Amino acid sequence: MSASVLHTEVGVSDEKQAAAKSAGRRFGALVVRLGAIAAFAAIMAYFVVFAPGFTSTFNLINVVEQSAILGVLAYGMTSVIIGGGSDVTEGGIDLSIAANMGLCAAVYATLLSMGYGDFLSVVAAIGVGMAVGALNALAVVGLGILPLLATLAVLNVAAGMELTLTQNTVVGASSPLLGVLVSGSFLGISALAWALIVFSAIMIVVVHGTSFGLRLYAVGGHPEAARAAGISVPFYVSFTYVLSGFCAAVASILTVSRLSASTPGSGELLLSVLAAALLGTVFSRRFVPTMGGTLLSVLFIGLLANGFQLLNVSSYWVNGVQGALILLVVAITSFARGSEGSR
Amino acid sequence: MQTAKRDIAVSMTGISKRFGPVRALENANLEIARGSILGLVGQNGAGKSTIIKVLAGIIKPDSGSIVINGETVSALTPASVEKLGVHFIHQDRLLVPTATVGEAVFLGHEIGLGPFVSRRAMERRAADLLKRFFGMELPSGTLVKDLTTAQQKVVQITRALAQKASVLVLDEPTAALVKREVDSLFDVLRRLRDDGIAVVFISHYMQEIEKLCDRVTVMRNGTDVGTVDPRQTPIDEIIAMMIARDVGEMFPKRSVELGAPVLEVSNLRLGGSFENIGFNVRAGEIVGLTGLLGSGAKEIVQCLFGLKTADGGQVKVEGRELSLSTPVRAVRDGIAMLPEDRRAHGVALGLSVRENISLASLRRYSRSGMVSRGAENQAVDGLIKELSIKTPHRDALVRELSGGNQQKVAIAKWLSCQSRVYVLDEPTVAVDVGAKVEIYNLLNRLAGEGAAILLLSSDLLELVGVCDRVLVVYRGRLAGSFSGPAMNSDELLAASSGARSNADGVAA
Repeated sequence: MSASVLHTEVGVSDEKQAAAKSAGRRFGALVVRLGAIAAFAAIMAYFVVFAPGFTSTFNLINVVEQSAILGVLAYGMTSVIIGGGSDVTEGGIDLSIAANMGLCAAVYATLLSMGYGDFLSVVAAIGVGMAVGALNALAVVGLGILPLLATLAVLNVAAGMELTLTQNTVVGASSPLLGVLVSGSFLGISALAWALIVFSAIMIVVVHGTSFGLRLYAVGGHPEAARAAGISVPFYVSFTYVLSGFCAAVASILTVSRLSASTPGSGELLLSVLAAALLGTVFSRRFVPTMGGTLLSVLFIGLLANGFQLLNVSSYWVNGVQGALILLVVAITSFARGSEGSR
Repeated sequence: MQTAKRDIAVSMTGISKRFGPVRALENANLEIARGSILGLVGQNGAGKSTIIKVLAGIIKPDSGSIVINGETVSALTPASVEKLGVHFIHQDRLLVPTATVGEAVFLGHEIGLGPFVSRRAMERRAADLLKRFFGMELPSGTLVKDLTTAQQKVVQITRALAQKASVLVLDEPTAALVKREVDSLFDVLRRLRDDGIAVVFISHYMQEIEKLCDRVTVMRNGTDVGTVDPRQTPIDEIIAMMIARDVGEMFPKRSVELGAPVLEVSNLRLGGSFENIGFNVRAGEIVGLTGLLGSGAKEIVQCLFGLKTADGGQVKVEGRELSLSTPVRAVRDGIAMLPEDRRAHGVALGLSVRENISLASLRRYSRSGMVSRGAENQAVDGLIKELSIKTPHRDALVRELSGGNQQKVAIAKWLSCQSRVYVLDEPTVAVDVGAKVEIYNLLNRLAGEGAAILLLSSDLLELVGVCDRVLVVYRGRLAGSFSGPAMNSDELLAASSGARSNADGVAA
């Protein structure tokens, strides 16, 4: 009961211990972070030395272009993880994002092939993407289903709709917008690369420069604290899923431009997207996903696939490496979190 | 503190709130005056936290009215309450661990231009405030998770001050602080009071209430039972208001012949928590164990549960040495345990009363791996009746029962195993008074049947009322063993806080 207990001077030594512990943890986190970055650098150095043509301008631009789609998707995933918290089992995650992109691409290509113009087709694709995102938000925020399961279900819905729409065939597409995306360039940089640059800039400014972004991190980092600060947690979490759907739609337009068609199998990108968003955390002092970190990971994954190609290593290996990276990052973050909890 | 009409900042009247079958608040009132510090005290479950959460807009009351600064407000939300200048320092450190100090202080009220934030300005302003109010300097950009508990508490208070709070409510703000920090916190609170801010101070520490508060409101069983001046009212009287029930009536008397030692602990130690702990519990004996937060008492019990592994020492049950490496081993070795967090470890909320009760003892109703339902039902019904567990039927889900009845299910689970040693960790926390008495009766009965019982509790009156002997842990060592007339809450308190040690010899 409450019947009066006194305060003690347990104090001083405790404080020192806590400080030492905290310093130890910070040091551990630093080692992990620097270790990961050093590993990245080592892999890149290996490619520079042994992969023929790795450092050529042509090759690097090619990688950036190839990374545009992955990048846009990874931003969507990152925003969901920021807003939902990076808890591995209960935190935010959007497994449907790649399938959503496939569906949006199918909608976009089908409408174009039916003769609807660019404007209408783009609006429809974005509408579909955001609707799928809203469905995720409804399942996660409205119905309280674990994001892992909710978005897995929505993944199947989106994939099923894509198949229904395209009958599992390639739907060819061409339009003025696609023409610009394929062959347009400005200041010697191709349109696809510009898309990545502009999208990255917007995301970085919004998430890291505005109070909106700050609150988004608060919502993911400690929902109760965010709520106590008068922030509407459901709104922010819902927003990230809709944003993720929007990113899927934007990526779908880029993918249609790159392939001049909507093709089945976009779901395979999911692993790369997840790897990019999770890997990005090691670039952050706070061990949280950041847009800048995601950009670096996207480029890293792009360069990894590219380097393997140049070294004539089967591209199937890339999947394995990405999977291993995800495991590693998740293990490290869980470990870091575990030591936090034992305080 | 003039007796003239005081300036009322917040007035809550007739607040009631139920959670399912549990009555959390019943016609409770709270009046907070400007320029004064109001203490809010009561036993666990008396409704202190609930009424504060109502004011914070976190819990919607079923009925009652709230007037803030002369304005009747309804449908409070955390945001609208803050706009009215009422700020809360919650017991849980409600701070984002990955935020910097500046971000944590200004979250929701960011400094910047339009939608853009200026992190540098926030860090600087936060540093200014920390220096001004607390004389505390932290490296710029320090993350909340890298702060000590006390520093986090200070950041929380700074957060409220940054937003020009006119009413400041602190829920157990000193629980994790050391004395020096408590003193500086008190200085800050007095300064804020003198500036005309209304401060509400919720604490279990009566000395703090006496030292700091101008008035104190006592809560009991979900309602306020009086408001007094703590400087003129003896602490005993305030405690009596909190309990109301005659202690003798609450703690049933018994007399048992003590048998041979059943639980023998010797030289137990756990690095950083406790060392050289040795005591016995004899058949039929109820031994209390108490100590302040961080004293090591809790960790001793956790070692007996197998939740923590001791670095050295011996634990014997009926002469057999136990390894106690995991809870599974502890159970197998005949220790029945009742962890504090019954939702996490004590009962399975999603299972029925029957399943919970027979969970630990299925083997007894099983023949070659099959459960004999008839024998199980008979045993379960017997226990439900015996413990007067209020449940519609044996297959009702434990989730649907009240806290006290859930606790009884947890105890029944072990009764059906017929254990010889019971270790209980705060069995009556968040349990209503009626259920408490039933739990005490149950402990008496178990002891009467020859079980050895170790009861960890921070409720000193409970210990005095129930136990044959109370062991006090102070800074990781046994500071005393009290029985007979020496076993009273004053002595226990003095020993807990290190003011006195040992009454009748540690080794019993």
